[in-house]
Amino acid sequence: MKTKKMNFWGLSWAIIALLYFFVPLYGTLDFSLRMQRGHLSLMAYKVVLSDPQFLDSFRYSATMGLITIVVSACIFLPTIYWMYLKAPQARPLVEIITILPFIIPVIVFTFGLIRTFSGPPFQLTATPFKTDILITVGYVIVSMPYMYRAIDVGMRSIDVRGLTEAAQSLGSSWFQILTKVIFPNLRVAVLNGALICFATVIGELILGDFLVRPALGPYMVQVGRDSAYQPAAMAMLSWGLTWVCLGVIQLFGRGNTSQEIFSR
Amino acid sequence: MAYLELSHINKFFAENQVVYDFNLSAQQGEFISFLGPSGCGKTTTLRMIAGFELPSSGTILLDGKDLTNVSPNKRNVGMVFQSYALFPNMSVADNIGYGLMVAGKSKAEIKQRVEEMLALIHLEEYGKRYPARLSGGQQQRVALARALAIRPHVLLLDEPLSALDAKIRVELRQEIRRIQQQLGITTIYVTHDQEEALSISDRIVVMNQGKIEQIGSSSEIYNFPQTEFVAQFVGQINLLPVTVVNPSEGVVKIGQQVVKAGQFGHLNGKPVRLAVRPEELNIGYREGANNLTGNVDAVAYLGSIVRIRLNIEGHSVSVDVFNERKLTIPTIGDPYQVTFPVDACWLI
Repeated sequence: MKTKKMNFWGLSWAIIALLYFFVPLYGTLDFSLRMQRGHLSLMAYKVVLSDPQFLDSFRYSATMGLITIVVSACIFLPTIYWMYLKAPQARPLVEIITILPFIIPVIVFTFGLIRTFSGPPFQLTATPFKTDILITVGYVIVSMPYMYRAIDVGMRSIDVRGLTEAAQSLGSSWFQILTKVIFPNLRVAVLNGALICFATVIGELILGDFLVRPALGPYMVQVGRDSAYQPAAMAMLSWGLTWVCLGVIQLFGRGNTSQEIFSR
Repeated sequence: MAYLELSHINKFFAENQVVYDFNLSAQQGEFISFLGPSGCGKTTTLRMIAGFELPSSGTILLDGKDLTNVSPNKRNVGMVFQSYALFPNMSVADNIGYGLMVAGKSKAEIKQRVEEMLALIHLEEYGKRYPARLSGGQQQRVALARALAIRPHVLLLDEPLSALDAKIRVELRQEIRRIQQQLGITTIYVTHDQEEALSISDRIVVMNQGKIEQIGSSSEIYNFPQTEFVAQFVGQINLLPVTVVNPSEGVVKIGQQVVKAGQFGHLNGKPVRLAVRPEELNIGYREGANNLTGNVDAVAYLGSIVRIRLNIEGHSVSVDVFNERKLTIPTIGDPYQVTFPVDACWLI
């Protein structure tokens, strides 16, 4: 009797949670399809996708997202690996550092970047290329908590010290240990971090706006100010893109991960 | 000249000294176990041989070459870990062939060697499986094969059987010994399990608090322990406080009962204890031997033996009797007489 009662409440809460999530989503989808009066159409999507500014800003943000992922992975993977191996006592301090982007508002951080790097000795706002370097640094820092946590969880799931020492005793160099033993076992963790990193960069507004770069975030805000249906279409597109990314993670996270030294 | 030689090894972690003046000479093909309680420095010493820790002082020579400061990946020393440490992203065959692959061997050579190793550990059909799909015992066999595939100068095993259940442990330790003898590889084996060390080693190094207590064969360690720690740590032993009656002949008294010890040194007034193993004690009375009388305190079945605990002059004494169907189990409180030869006991 008690179990039945618990099942009823459990199911009720699940339904409420699903409604809370899906009703606004349905509302956005429905609204995005009503650009043409009287019937449903994909007109808003057509307008968004045919706008060259949308494609440019999406291309820019996607490129910056990929660069951010590569830079983040190159910085955080070896750093976290080294911390696990040689300085596990430093972990609490590193954790505090990685949550700083949550504590310091992005707008404060962005002003700090602009004030520090808009004049000598490190002038990084003089050309678009230099500003892109600056914005990448900003994106890496903003997405740091997510990337760090994803890799940290991956590291915890493997015996870092044991695997490293086993590989060392078999004659591996540090580079071989990292590329053939440690990183392949963190692939799913890095993909998880990469997805969140990518999503953060795609939706980021303040850095792109204040550093005056053609990012997707500022473009979406501008379109939201000027149009009604296109922002809803873009919201649905970005939601779909997130699911595509999740699908990619599932695809890469499965299957044979072997190095296949030789075929048998 | 010894094949593996550790001379005056000391190891500090910050201010804390964990290994004190460790000296050991191992011959080629010898199987040596480091035996001791947790924290006695046995794993640290093994890790210094592997190169994962550097000695604070002292030297490690292998076949005449100084390995003391050589990095672990240049030592050609095979290591088997308690946690197996198999690479989860690689199949069994790839795990075994990994060391050869990083050494730049040809695919044909790796394949042949992997097949040899799989045959050696009797897992010929498991080459394509992944470690996660193997039992603990199978994983440790693969770890052993992986360590041996590179033809190491020395094989190091760090409590390799600790994570396995009792039956598998016995099977696998015999397997390890068989493979070691078949390949004639010099092996250092770390364990805190005395039965394991006694059953497979050519020599045992008993360690306590970072120091070597005794080095010897299994029978030397068990039958002729040189220190009280070795006597107590290896096997069961009765240690009874005694009063010296005749120091020149080793005659002592336990309460009011007189006993003669087979081995005794210079009794210089220090408190003395009589040491005798439970299996040396027999039921009954024998003329010319040591005889003690007490009362039965407890009886415990241990399978092939029955351990009877006696109270003799206020001291607890264990007696091991072979279990057999006709054995009459004494009742608690019964008077009981035991006898043991003079040369079966010694004074500590």
